[in-house]
Amino acid sequence: MRSIYLGFEGKIIKKGAEAELYLIDFLGIPAILKKRIPKPYRAKELDAHIRRMRTSHEVTMMFHARVCGVPVPAIYDVDPDEGVIIMEYIPGPTLKEMTLKDYEVSSIFKLVGFYVGKMHLNNIVHGDLTTANIIVPEPEKPFFVDFGLAERTGELEAIGTDVHLMLRALESTHYSKVKELFNAFLRGYREIMGGKVENVLKKVQEIRRRGRYVEERRAKIH
Amino acid sequence: MARRVVVLGIESTAHTFGCGIVDSSGNILANVNNTYIPAKGGIHPRESAQHHSDVAPRVIRTALSEAKLSMDQVDAIAVSLGPGLGPCLRVGATICRALAVAYDKPLIPVNHAVAHIEIAKLTTGFKDPLIVFVSGGNTIIAAYSDGRYRVFGETLDIALGNLLDAFAREAHLPHPGGPRVEELAKKGERLLKLPYIVKGQDVSYSGLLTAAVKLLSEGHRIEDLCYSLQEYAFSMLAEVAERALAYTEKKELVLTGGVAANSELQRKLMMVAEEHNAKFGVVPKALSGDNGAMIAWTGVLAYVHGVTINVEKSYVKPRWRLDEVDIPWI
Ligand SMILES: Nc1ncnc2c1ncn2[C@@H]1O[C@H](COP(=O)(O)OP(=O)(O)O)[C@@H](O)[C@H]1O
Ligand SMILES: [Mg+2]
Repeated sequence: MRSIYLGFEGKIIKKGAEAELYLIDFLGIPAILKKRIPKPYRAKELDAHIRRMRTSHEVTMMFHARVCGVPVPAIYDVDPDEGVIIMEYIPGPTLKEMTLKDYEVSSIFKLVGFYVGKMHLNNIVHGDLTTANIIVPEPEKPFFVDFGLAERTGELEAIGTDVHLMLRALESTHYSKVKELFNAFLRGYREIMGGKVENVLKKVQEIRRRGRYVEERRAKIH
Repeated sequence: MARRVVVLGIESTAHTFGCGIVDSSGNILANVNNTYIPAKGGIHPRESAQHHSDVAPRVIRTALSEAKLSMDQVDAIAVSLGPGLGPCLRVGATICRALAVAYDKPLIPVNHAVAHIEIAKLTTGFKDPLIVFVSGGNTIIAAYSDGRYRVFGETLDIALGNLLDAFAREAHLPHPGGPRVEELAKKGERLLKLPYIVKGQDVSYSGLLTAAVKLLSEGHRIEDLCYSLQEYAFSMLAEVAERALAYTEKKELVLTGGVAANSELQRKLMMVAEEHNAKFGVVPKALSGDNGAMIAWTGVLAYVHGVTINVEKSYVKPRWRLDEVDIPWI
């Protein structure tokens, strides 16, 4: 299936690490066209494979998340061969921008925790949970984007990694508010996950030790 | 101008015992390192520690004579207190405490990861880079912000150097494993299918190792295996480095640590930097692996900013995280 919008005209609004994002007109309404661009540092065949897989995977996972009530842009079209997704335009700042500008974001983090809990309970792991991948058009509704690394799994390891990524984003970028914002996140997360939260947090600790400390990090293959 | 300061630094976190002597202008007056090579298998912490105690007196004496200095002319002793292997760390710490007491010199605590970063900044002249630090025990992407180096990406399991070394051992390649894999990879022709695992800004290498070892047992050409292993491992790292670069918007990218010597890794990261209009730099080969000079140089930076530690409190810290260290010199 080729997208009818490959000959699009639009203005580039963001250049992320993986993709370029354009604001286009889709049948009369504003829409976002996300195009994954080739990476010269990867072998051609590997690069083409990754872009294709992530593109089709992203729309599938966005759809799953939407079905279980998580705010996610609606999908309008997809073309895996071109690495193109066309989706609903969500106007608003990212949670990263809002937090860096010192807005009162505790209640948003609680909602983020709530929705991440919903995903985890429904066997969806986002895979790239940072504040840059959450758009906040209105304070009661944070939207999640960038599902290219998402997974369909209920494994504690994957869920723990998701929470670790959120915590690490706070530590690296919002370091003066780590406690406050992570606690807010956990309040919302616990509403959905209940008693499972303690197990997840234990896993998060284990993951962090493994990556950071020499002894845990040595390969044991025998 | 401030008085010239000379610091003697000791490295002993893992398999290398090193002694470096550096002055406050960044002149490396001596850098003597001796690396323990295990007869087979990985590092055995206690055997490595035994090696360190055996070579320490000679390494330190050689460094002093290379620098043409006596202990009296050294202003302070810097010790790499972690992160690392407990038994190895204790050898370095014990020696440094003894030197500090015997010659009445201040003792300076140095974090090993910070030292890899500072030596790369000194040698490339970069001021505020995104740092890719890859060695046998570390895979960390970091950048400075507000008083500390913050971690933006890391491995979720084993380190990049560890991946290459462990694979080389499985393939019975002679020591050192990493450079052998690099040599063989140059003759690789076919890209074999391996798992490509990126999670957010992190990589996971243990699944890659398991899969590569499995292909090895299936009898694929070793050249193709080495090429494929590197292609996957380095592309994953380049991708997360790119993510961190886009996220932090830094304008310099620096590669440091033992695996920094790999030219294919350098090539990939240089392309990442180019895409984002950032300058690219690599620590020189002589200073990429664990070494005493980087401890001494970081010791200089810390010392002139008043960072010292009491001998009684100079415990080793096997789990001393990069983002726990205050950096008063930036
Ligand atoms: N549907 C959307 N509406 C509005 N802005 C969006 C939308 N999707 C993405 N963005 C913006 O573009 C940025 C990059 O998009 P993202 O999907 O995260 O790509 P990348 O993989 O390159 O990070 C996001 O951080 C967000 O600011
Ligand atoms: Mg994104």
